[in-house]
Amino acid sequence: MFRKVLIANRGEIALRVLRACRALGVESVVAYSEADRESLPAQLADEAICIGPADATASYLSAPAVISAALITGCDAIHPGYGFLSEDEGFAEVVAAHGLTFVGPPAGVLERFASKEGTRRLLASHGLPTIPGSDGMLRDEMHALNEADRIGYPVLIKPSAGGGGKGMRMVRTARELESALKVCRSEAKAAFGDDSLYLEKWLDENRHVEVQVMVDRYGNGVHLGERDCSVQRRHQKILEEAPTPSLDAATRAELADRAVRAVVAAGYENIGTLEFLVDRTGDYYFIEINCRIQVEHPVTEMLTGIDMVTTQLRIAAGEPLGFTQADVSFAGHSIEFRINAEDPDHEFRPGAGLVERYHAPGGPGVRMDSHLYTGYEVPPYYDSLLGKLVVWGPDRATAIARGRVALQELVIDGLVTNVAIHEALLASETFLEGKMTTNLLDRVGSAAFLAAAART
Amino acid sequence: MPEPDPRDTRRPTRPPAERAADHAAIDRLASELLPALIAKLGATGLGELEVREGQWRVRLRRPADGVVKRDRRRGDRDRGERGERGERGDRGDRASGRSGHQQPEAAGSRAESRAIATSPAVGIFRPRTEVAAGTRVRAGDRLGAVDMLGVAQEVVAPVDGIVGASLVDAGDAVEYGQELLVIEHVTSADPSNNGRGA
Repeated sequence: MFRKVLIANRGEIALRVLRACRALGVESVVAYSEADRESLPAQLADEAICIGPADATASYLSAPAVISAALITGCDAIHPGYGFLSEDEGFAEVVAAHGLTFVGPPAGVLERFASKEGTRRLLASHGLPTIPGSDGMLRDEMHALNEADRIGYPVLIKPSAGGGGKGMRMVRTARELESALKVCRSEAKAAFGDDSLYLEKWLDENRHVEVQVMVDRYGNGVHLGERDCSVQRRHQKILEEAPTPSLDAATRAELADRAVRAVVAAGYENIGTLEFLVDRTGDYYFIEINCRIQVEHPVTEMLTGIDMVTTQLRIAAGEPLGFTQADVSFAGHSIEFRINAEDPDHEFRPGAGLVERYHAPGGPGVRMDSHLYTGYEVPPYYDSLLGKLVVWGPDRATAIARGRVALQELVIDGLVTNVAIHEALLASETFLEGKMTTNLLDRVGSAAFLAAAART
Repeated sequence: MPEPDPRDTRRPTRPPAERAADHAAIDRLASELLPALIAKLGATGLGELEVREGQWRVRLRRPADGVVKRDRRRGDRDRGERGERGERGDRGDRASGRSGHQQPEAAGSRAESRAIATSPAVGIFRPRTEVAAGTRVRAGDRLGAVDMLGVAQEVVAPVDGIVGASLVDAGDAVEYGQELLVIEHVTSADPSNNGRGA
């Protein structure tokens, strides 16, 4: 196991990794930007080191700053969390070149799975069904129009790099495609430094279901079941749950089993998530893989009782997984509510500022992963995630009931949050029946959801 | 009769009425005169201020070391200090994007015409051997570098002045924004001290 780990991230995930290190008896150093000097992870860490200014490109995204900090503090590994440098194969390579371990897939593995389009082909060759899409990257407008005709509208324009909905657009006509291409290219270029785009057939009324896998260096792999992330707003997940209400137990087991067999065969290593779209008939299609710990990992931890971050650290340290699929059991139902500093009444405008009072809910099956504290000033420079409220119950109805109580108990004074949208979801027939689709919030409109909830 | 308080050596025999009057006078000086004097001293470059009023004399003296030393070295960050900086008091500075490590620099410049050169990166500090204490420097002069993965990030003098104490040793690991060198007798108008360099 490692002696000392540099945590190159911020917010709740820095805190989560810090806790995992402590649980393993590993020292940790939190690398923070000047804007995060007062942050909880920086305060709770065994050691904390300022790596740059508030601007993430000169701090959390600066490979030299992060690696330099790891070296001068005597760390032997770097945990990148999610976002920032977490899936940057160039970073992973330089980390290794300095004799440090990257806590994630080794650079060579990241490189193999770096291109979404390439990964679709690779995993299709190992038995995963994929959505009909363009033949490679879009070369120019003519190529895009021809490919869209062949696939059939509507199509989804997707960037090869990155995630989080940037550079992504659904178009229904050739005219829409022409105008959206430019916007997507510039968005992708700005967000990921890579403007490669490809097309995918758009499945109306689809669900987003993802499979969690863990594979050690020796080719031992297990899946930890799936999560349903269909509740989205503009391609941003806001609520995740497991198991998915959209598939029966046999189909879920088959999906997860196929996913883990495919990635093991393709040489994957460390922790990863395979995202699938599930259509109305229950057919599923692989869309992409995320080579990192994900925001919504606690949903799976609640269901399986497995500490995924300590497992990830053990795999990165070269330890064998130590358990088999037969040892993984699933109990009950879990839901995660992403608590964001966003104003649902004003187009989910992100906010920042002083947390005047903070109270985290508790009780059976309630977990709050958050870096907030009373008196903390949320800086305006980073994403708006304030924390993750995760509830568990022996069945979905109990989890929902606990979720209602916990959302009501949560206090974050001083900031506008998106709690109202979660309360509206828990009052919505569509959600209660387990029939959410990825486009529902955008199609119906969040305002309509909020208004409907207010009437009940 | 109770024994006189041995600590009260100044006026052991004064009657209670007179002592009460003194206390009232001290209260008045503390609540009215002192705040005005502190403001006055703060607004000037003076080191000491004395005022006489009746039998009372009030003298204010600036501490010899006007620089607020805040050691930001990793490992010995003071939790109390962080708590204090977490108060709303310095929100204005942070909201305007001004970095925390410039605060002591500005305060120092006003008080004792001092400034601090800070680290531009996280890495190993390598001072220039030619730049020793007593060397006169101009704003922008290279004082040394911080080696970040083999790439030298320049440490420059923030103002014109004379190099004073080094707050870290050559070869020390330093973090971003860490205070490295004191610049004394600042003679240039540094934008952060409103022209009160001299």
